[in-house]
Amino acid sequence: MKIRGGQPRGRRLQLGVRGRDGGAISALNINRTGAPMSGSEPLDRAASSLVPPTGGKTRAKDSFDPIRHQLLTGAILLATTIVALFSSGAVLAVCGAALAAVHWLSGRRWARAIEKAREEKRFLDEQLIQSQKLAAIGELSAGIGHEINNPIAIIGQEAEWMRHLLQEEPGKTEEISDSLREIVRQVERCRDITQKLLNFARKMEPVFQGVDVNRLVDDMAKLVEKEAKLRSIRVIRIFQSDLPALFTDPPLLRQVVLNLLNNAMHAVGEKGAITITTSASGRDFVNIVVSDTGCGIPKENLGRIFDPFFTTKPQGQGTGLGLSMCHGIMDRLGGRISVSSEVGKGSSFSLALPADK
Amino acid sequence: MPLSPKVLIVDDEERFRTTLGKLLTVKGLQVDNVGSAREALALLGENNYDVILLDVKMPEMSGVEALAEIKKINSGIEVIILTGHASVDVAMEIMKLGGYDYLLKPCPVEELLAKIETAYDRKREREGRGPKL
Ligand SMILES: Nc1ncnc2c1ncn2[C@@H]1O[C@H](COP(=O)(O)OP(=O)(O)OP(=O)(O)O)[C@@H](O)[C@H]1O
Ligand SMILES: [Mg+2]
Repeated sequence: MKIRGGQPRGRRLQLGVRGRDGGAISALNINRTGAPMSGSEPLDRAASSLVPPTGGKTRAKDSFDPIRHQLLTGAILLATTIVALFSSGAVLAVCGAALAAVHWLSGRRWARAIEKAREEKRFLDEQLIQSQKLAAIGELSAGIGHEINNPIAIIGQEAEWMRHLLQEEPGKTEEISDSLREIVRQVERCRDITQKLLNFARKMEPVFQGVDVNRLVDDMAKLVEKEAKLRSIRVIRIFQSDLPALFTDPPLLRQVVLNLLNNAMHAVGEKGAITITTSASGRDFVNIVVSDTGCGIPKENLGRIFDPFFTTKPQGQGTGLGLSMCHGIMDRLGGRISVSSEVGKGSSFSLALPADK
Repeated sequence: MPLSPKVLIVDDEERFRTTLGKLLTVKGLQVDNVGSAREALALLGENNYDVILLDVKMPEMSGVEALAEIKKINSGIEVIILTGHASVDVAMEIMKLGGYDYLLKPCPVEELLAKIETAYDRKREREGRGPKL
């Protein structure tokens, strides 16, 4: 992609934006003082290094300060936009930046240009979200293929086997009921998957309420504690007592915490510990960390564990939707989820939620 | 069928492979089944299977990797891939590796049986003609 601004009315403006193969964006060279700025630098740095013209005409100087301010913030904002949206429409956003700069130099109203660029950004954002949704649906349908077709295949075979038994070996009633039981089991498995998918797809607006985080986390810990005891897994709580107030959707947060605990139990298997920590980063974030002494996650899987249907559990045991659900929920709650892990040592999942200020 | 093909089912879904095994057995085939690609490869040395039914999505070693290994050990065995999800990329890969056919789960036993028979015919035909270069 190449975009070049002109050199309006004798003022030496050079505006070049280059990007290669959807990669780095470089070079916004604006030169108002004479000597050409050479080379290329990241757009946002270039934009923030725009310097006020020294000396020069009164008109340019008069209009400079507010323009400079707007241009800097505007251009930086646009520069960020470009980086984020490069593959899907950076051209427009860059044009916005170019327009703003040209308007600045030609002394026209730049505010409109920036407003226009912002509109373009909104439009591009929407398009991006739409395309991400489509990608997600593609991924989901691939996953559904794997996960639903297996139980359906089993159901079909059991039915065929029952037909065979009824026609050829009608005395084998125990075997027939065994097939029936299997069918019921597999139907349940399908239902489990579709249920999770529905929850996943349903975009229920979260209802934000004041939450006592320690209490909420403790409740979830209690749910797994009984089973943990049977399997010699210690559940350790390290709670910070004076956490900042948190406004969030309690059932959604519970779901996330429970999923993490569930995964941790699974990873530990038998004998080990799960540590649940709550803390605050300043007054801005409340953190909940679930660590385990389990099997850990190999590096090559770390990038995939949040993908829908990614699972390393045996067929029929994990649907691979737990963490992707957690990720979706944390997005909706305005928080973040992150992971660190070492194979053989254990894993640690951290939640960061914005505190109410 | 005068000669019945010897079939190996490889699928990590236990109930799938055992019931399919029973269904094919009552149709007169000789059937073994295992739950992983590794077990399958270990069995190849001592058994001469005619047709292998191979699942794609298995932990540890996928069906596609297993197919490559099987063809290295004995390129005469016909391999039919059974999968829960159609993906053009995977299908291409399988054909390139010399897979015989590619079937989507769920699939009626009659259909599978027909595929096994034609795969078996092909294998015998080729063996009758002697080894090809
Ligand atoms: N605490 C953990 N320790 C080690 N591996 C983990 C941990 N949590 C998640 N994983 C890995 O990430 C994968 C995906 O987890 P996720 O919760 O999304 O699905 P799942 O647990 O396999 O199935 P589901 O949650 O739908 O029953 C798991 O299969 C496992 O390999
Ligand atoms: Mg899980």
